[in-house]
This record gives sequence, structure tokens and C-alpha cells, in this order.
Amino acid sequence: MEISDEIKQIDENLVKQLNQIANNKAEYWDIRAEINNGTSLDFTNQKSKEISSFEIANCGIRAFKNGGWGFSVLKDLKKDSIKTGLEKAIKLAVLTESLTKIKFKIAQNDPIIQNFKSKCKKEIEEIAIDDKINTVKNHEKIASNYSPYIQNTHTLYMDGHSQTLFLNSFGSKIIQDLSFVRLFCMVFANKNGIIQKSANSVAGVGGYEIVETEKAFNLSKKTAKEAIKLLNAKSPIGGKLTVIADPKLTGTIIHEAFGHACEADLVLSNESVLKGMIDQNVASEYVSIIDDPSMGQGKQFKLPYELFGSYFIDDEGIPSQKTVIIENGILKNYLNNLETSSRMNVPPNGHGRAPTSSERPQVRMGYTYLEPRDWSIEDIIEDTKDGILCEDFQYGYTDPTTGNFQFKCRSSYKIKNGEKRENMRDVSLSGMILEALNKISAIGNGKTFDYSVGMCGKGGQLVRVCDGAPYIRIENVTVGGLN
Amino acid sequence: MEDSDIFSLAEFCFKIIESQISDVKTADIYFEKNKYINIEIEENSIKNSEVGEDSGVSIRVINRSGALGFAYSNKLVKHSIEKVCKVALKMMKVASPDPDFKDLPTPYKDYPNVKDLYDKNLKYLQIEDSLNYINDLIEVCKEDDMAISQSGNFVSDYSKTYIFNSNGLKASKKETSCLVSSNIIVKDKISKETSSGSERQIERSLNKLNAINVAKIALEDAKQNLNRKKVRNMKVPVILTPKGSISLILRPIAAAINAEIFQYKRSFLVDKRGEKIGSDILNIEDNGLIDNAAGSQIFDDEGVPCQNKKILQNGKFLESGLLHNSYTAGKEGIESTGNASRGSYLTIPSIGITNFIMKPGDTSLEEIIKSIKRGILLNYTGDSPNISTGDFSGLILRGNLIEDGEIKDPLNETMIGINLIDLFKNVEAISKDYKIYGAFQAPWVKIRSVNVIGGEN
Repeated sequence: MEISDEIKQIDENLVKQLNQIANNKAEYWDIRAEINNGTSLDFTNQKSKEISSFEIANCGIRAFKNGGWGFSVLKDLKKDSIKTGLEKAIKLAVLTESLTKIKFKIAQNDPIIQNFKSKCKKEIEEIAIDDKINTVKNHEKIASNYSPYIQNTHTLYMDGHSQTLFLNSFGSKIIQDLSFVRLFCMVFANKNGIIQKSANSVAGVGGYEIVETEKAFNLSKKTAKEAIKLLNAKSPIGGKLTVIADPKLTGTIIHEAFGHACEADLVLSNESVLKGMIDQNVASEYVSIIDDPSMGQGKQFKLPYELFGSYFIDDEGIPSQKTVIIENGILKNYLNNLETSSRMNVPPNGHGRAPTSSERPQVRMGYTYLEPRDWSIEDIIEDTKDGILCEDFQYGYTDPTTGNFQFKCRSSYKIKNGEKRENMRDVSLSGMILEALNKISAIGNGKTFDYSVGMCGKGGQLVRVCDGAPYIRIENVTVGGLN
Repeated sequence: MEDSDIFSLAEFCFKIIESQISDVKTADIYFEKNKYINIEIEENSIKNSEVGEDSGVSIRVINRSGALGFAYSNKLVKHSIEKVCKVALKMMKVASPDPDFKDLPTPYKDYPNVKDLYDKNLKYLQIEDSLNYINDLIEVCKEDDMAISQSGNFVSDYSKTYIFNSNGLKASKKETSCLVSSNIIVKDKISKETSSGSERQIERSLNKLNAINVAKIALEDAKQNLNRKKVRNMKVPVILTPKGSISLILRPIAAAINAEIFQYKRSFLVDKRGEKIGSDILNIEDNGLIDNAAGSQIFDDEGVPCQNKKILQNGKFLESGLLHNSYTAGKEGIESTGNASRGSYLTIPSIGITNFIMKPGDTSLEEIIKSIKRGILLNYTGDSPNISTGDFSGLILRGNLIEDGEIKDPLNETMIGINLIDLFKNVEAISKDYKIYGAFQAPWVKIRSVNVIGGEN
């Protein structure tokens, strides 16, 4: 692995000096120093709107003392700046500590000294900008030519390469070198003034091979097809209905409606309905939910790259790992970072993440999925007398304090006597998470299992995530629409 | 870095750009430096103190056929900036020609005089002096026996921005802002139900911040949402609180009159220019010239002076009621309205609001509530309307039943559905009282009749 000069100059000698600065003043400190570069190609209606390239340096320095955190952010990686930054962070931590009511210690972890690099079949820096542009132009062309009713096409290609050095007072020294690519398509269709849209992305950790898979090649066509189909969809019916959710929608429900409530920072601050529920029954006995951001999972989906939510170590130097959240309906673990695991007296499970080194790590998900069971999709539909099959989502959110959730799905079908009937659009689903998890009456088999990619927001920070799920059926969900 | 350094770096950039390719029509350079303080509370106790600074540059170059290249970096040294210029030129070479591009702004003789967008108390603020705002938040929550937790923060920000373009435009400005936010969790001792409420205040000057008030409103908001009840389906009047009016009227209109969205025909207002789209009492403007206001600016992110623009007048969507940057304005053959918005040096200019204001009405809030025998108060929804169709259906995350002119039980699992044009036309009353949230100013608004989908079977 080639280490950039700016990272290389942060050497053992500096670490020694940093330890001297922190000696007796901070109980814990860590530093993330990062160099980021990448490209962004943004096309609308087959014309480029933005062709850009960037290089950014970020450095975030944290210090901790007895419940108080100090954080100092700088934009250069010079040795002197880092030393001053640590002094500032310690001063802030001491100040915070003098005022905080909640005192605790950070539990000691074994130091890790290791370098990690994501595998790339085709390094993004090696691909000519013209080739990247041609890829985007092709997608734009395919989407635009799909039908005369296509009004707008939008394709966004983004790649990025980051090299981050992590140092902490436990003695860890880790370099994580990750590259990612994301291709996003959005298509608007218009027929007699009715405007409908669809959007999809392909993204992963790896190189340019990410946009050269069959799934990536078909992205714009699939998106255009979906938007066109919605033009003829009907306005939805409302009421209490049995809902069959596809993997994309189920994954989002698992992530938004349940995953966030498992984040231990929300549990500690009394903001989660799952507080105090470890080892209790929170879902039907067929429900098992896992979060596993570790590398090596692209293979199960036959991908030549890693899942978009994956990482080697989190932003607090803890290796990514599999965490069982619910096992057969019983809540087993929360997702933790260094602070929450220390306070809950459990081992950290590698969920302290931040989008860049200039942001403070929070408890975040990585790749969250619902384990498949044994229903085929055909059997789920056939077994449903009166209901609605919902596909994909536009957006969704949950109030973690009350557990009230709302999801808007892109497309739906009415199910009557075990048969798929007319197509509907803009269907929204709402309910209470704990009730909904107990009303799951069917979970699809491995064949119905799929994953999706996205960016998840919390406290103003966006991180790369994935969810996975089979088809599921939930009884008695409030379905709303315009009428 | 001093002003003179920035000016010479800008000149250096223009020299590189000019020396590289004769094909360049125009270019602009955007420098930004800022520093901030952020103090966070969790579990009603101070948790994290943060200080940070950032500075960066972005360069946009456009050739004679309208192809645009863009590059940015936060390394403000000569050889890095030289690289940024060269990369931007390289990007321009591969970008698509765009005959719709006219030109970047030419220099302006005068900029408007908007006062108090900069408070030197914030520029020189020390973290020790910010702590009393955090303590105020903590005290309000501590003294209430139903409040069980609070998260929130205090942020102060100072920024200096410089814009240069090859038409000779040179402009710089300094601005400050500060913010207090509170999210309070309450628990009912008997029913054990929990609920949350939130509030925030954004100001240009420090002495305007009132953290006690912010926490008190969040607390009231949380209590008003406790012991929620399901209701049956009904068609009733709805009162939007200022937060509700922002979600259902101001934000959607701001998005729909963005000239870029409009030109792509993705706005539900596309065929409605010059038409009446709302009730007679609905008046909306985008005013960037209010002294001391959070959304005010002397000039936008391309250096164009900000203005006061009428958008909706007595319910009529004005022909001139679009928000433009120089590109979208050039495409329509008019002048930019001073609404170019970058967010930071990391992005090319898009379009944004300044202060987006719904004019207050002449009814008191009490009168509006009293006028309703049975209806709904909508304070907060997490949903947003579909901007291309104007359709809205969403969950009322915080709202109450109104019965016999009084605010009653909070609502559980209740949704509403309406098309925005119907909503605008059904505006029956607007309150005298209003609230300001950052760049939005909104009153309470009564909607004549809305479909409510209840969670009760």
C-alpha cells in the first residue's frame, strides 16, 4: 500500500510527543488524519452540470477526561498543528469534565497496529476521466431514449479515495485506505401533466469494477422503466391492510424503524423505545436482525466488490464485526461505540462512525439485515386474501422516542384472493415499530433476499450504509394515501 | 491568512487560467474561511466541546461553448492552488457544451446596505463564554419533574467569503451566526408514556439568543404531545403552527420556485405562473435585505446583490416570482435575482432562499383556535410533499385534536393527505402572531378542510 507523504510524516517521534502532551491530563485521546480525493460527474438531460474533482485534508483530534469530551478540528496535517490541536482538545475536555454530571471512564482496549486497504480490481485513479464520462453519458442516453414520456434524466457518478491514519492513547496505529464508487440514476416521466419519478443506485467499496457489473449496466433502463410504469398507476387506497414488503422496503423499515432505536447513544439518552429491553421479546419469534459491516460480504451477492456499508475498522479504531441485534424475537445487543460500550460495561462492537475526520464519531449502523426464513414470494402472495404488495421506498423515518414510523413506498400492487392486481403509487405505511415487528406473519426465503445501498443521516452526518432483507408480510398496517 | 494574501492568490489563479487555454470564456474563484464552536449536551449534561476551523477554495471555469469545469481543495498554498486551477481546466475540457450559459455576473457599483450580519462578539467568542447558554438549557430541563432527558447544542460560527470572477467582480463579506437547539424527552409518571419536543433559534448576533426560552418551548412541545390518542377518519379544518406552515407551505413553495427545478419542469407550479394559486390572504416574499436576519446577505454566492422579491401576492403567483442564479437567469434572458447558493466551497452554485416570509394576517391565534368546533392542530410532520405533483400525504408526528375551540389530546398514528394547491386555496385565516426559524418566517394558518386518516378502526 502506498502511503501518502502527508500521512507518512506523522511518525513515532510525533506520537511520543503527543503522549507527553496528554500525560496525566487526558484519560484517552485519538487522532484521525485523512487525505481525501475524488471525482463527481453530474449530468442532467444528457448534459454535464458539474464535472469536478477535489482534494481535501481533514484532521479531528479528540481528548477525554472522566465523562467530558473535547474535540478540535483542523484542515492541515502539519506536526505542529496536530500538537496544538491535541492541546486544545485536552483543554476542552478538562473544561467539559468540570461541568458534566455524567462521569464515566473509557474502558481500555488492546492496541491495533495494522494497515488495511480495500481491494480494487480497477483503481479509480487509473481510469481516464473520459471513460467515466462515457459511462454516465451512456446511462443518460439509455434513460432518455427509453420512452417519449421521459421528461428528465439525471445521472450522478461519484468516486472517492480516502487514506486515514488513526492513532490513539491505547497505542493503536492504523491506516485505512478505502475507495468507493457510487452511480445514481433518477428519471422523471411526464404524461398529460402527470409527473412520476424513480431513482436507483449502485454503490460499493472497491474500484471502477463497481459500475461495470450487469446490475450497474441496467441501472438507467430499470429506473426509466419504473418511472414510466408509475404514470399509469392509480392513487392508493387507505385503511388498515395486510402489507407485503419487498426486500428494498423491508430493509429500510428494519434500518429506520428498528436499527436506529438499537443505537446505544439513543438508549442511554432515554430517546429509544428499546431502553431496558435486552433479553426481552421485542418481535415475533421468526425475526432475527443482524448488523455486520465487516468485509467479505459482497461474495454472497456475487459482487466483485465489497458492500457499500462495509469498513475494516470503525472511526474509533475498533474492528468491524457481526453484531446480533435480535435473535428469534429476543433483543440481544445494542450497537455500541467506545463511549456507550464503556458505560454499559460491554465490549465495543465497532459502530462508532463519522463521515470524515472532521466530524465526531456517533453510533451508526453498517450493513443491517433481517435473516431469511422459508416462504417463497409466490406462497406469500397466494396466502394473502386482501392486502397490498409494496415495492421500494421514496423515504422513511421514525420517531425513536415513541416508535412511530412512516414510510413512503414507490410502487404498490393490490392483492386480492392471492393474486397481484392493479398498480398504485405514493402509498405510505405507518405504525408503531414494536407492534409491527410482532405482526410479521411471513418471512421470505433466501431466494427472495436482496440488499440495497444508501446514505444514512444522523445529527447532520451522512454515512454509507446497506440493508438487506427478504420479502416479508406484516398484518394490520395503517396505509395512507391522498384519498 | 490575510486579505492581501487571498487577493494575490486570486490573481495568481486568473493568470494560470489565462495562460493555459485561450478557449476560457470566464471563471470564478470562491474563497471561504470559517471557524466555529459547538458545545453539545446529551442526557441533560454537557458532553462534548468542539472548536474547528476550515478554509478552502473552489474554482469554476467555463469555455466559449458553455462547458463547465470545477475543482476545489482546502490546501491554500500556491502549488496546490495551481493544481486546482489545472484540474478545473481539465474538467472543463471534458464537460458538455451548453449554449444556455450566458455569462457570470459583471461587477456591481453598489451593494445594498444590510446591517448587523456580523457580530464581532461571535468572531472573538471563547468557549468559556458560551457555556451559560448550555447551562440555561440544562436548568430548564432539570427543574421540571416530567422532563427525563435533553439533547441540544450551542453553535457559533464566523465566516469570511471572497468571490472573484474574470469579468472583474471582486467582493468579500464577513458574517456570523449562532444557534441554540433543544430536544426534550418527557415521561408521564402515571401512564409511563414518553414523548419528545424540540425547538431551535438561529441568530446573527449573540445577544439575541434566548436559550431558556428555547428549552421552555421544547418542553411545552413535548408535554403537549404526551398521552396520544388515535382518532377516526374525518374531514375537518386544520391549523398549521409556524413549524407546520413552514413544512407544508413555505418549504414546498421555495423548492417549487427554484428556477432550476422550474426549468426542468419538475415543479408543480410550472403551468401556474401569473395565476392565482392560493387564497386572497396568502402573501409570500423572499427578502434578503432585512437587518440582522439569519437569511439576509449583502450578495449571493456569485457576488450578485440580494433583493426583496415578491413571490405570491394576494394568492397570485407572480410572473417574476422565481429564484435565480446567473445561469438560470441567463437562460431566461433576465438578471439574476441574487439567489445563488453554494453551501460551502465544496459545491457549485445552486439556488437557495434568503429570508422566506409568509406575511402575517389580521386574526389573533386565540380567535383562530376558538373558531374551530372540531379540527386538528398540526405542529410537525416528518414528511415532505412531492414537489413535481404537489401531492402531500404524511404522518402527523406532533399534533393535537381541537374540540370546541380548545386544544385537546395529542394524536397518535394520524395522517393527512391533500394537494398543495387545494391547501393554498383553502387558507381561511392567518394569524397576526408569527415565528422565525432561521431563514423562515411563518404565522399560524387555518386550512378550511383537510382529509384526516385516523389510526382508530
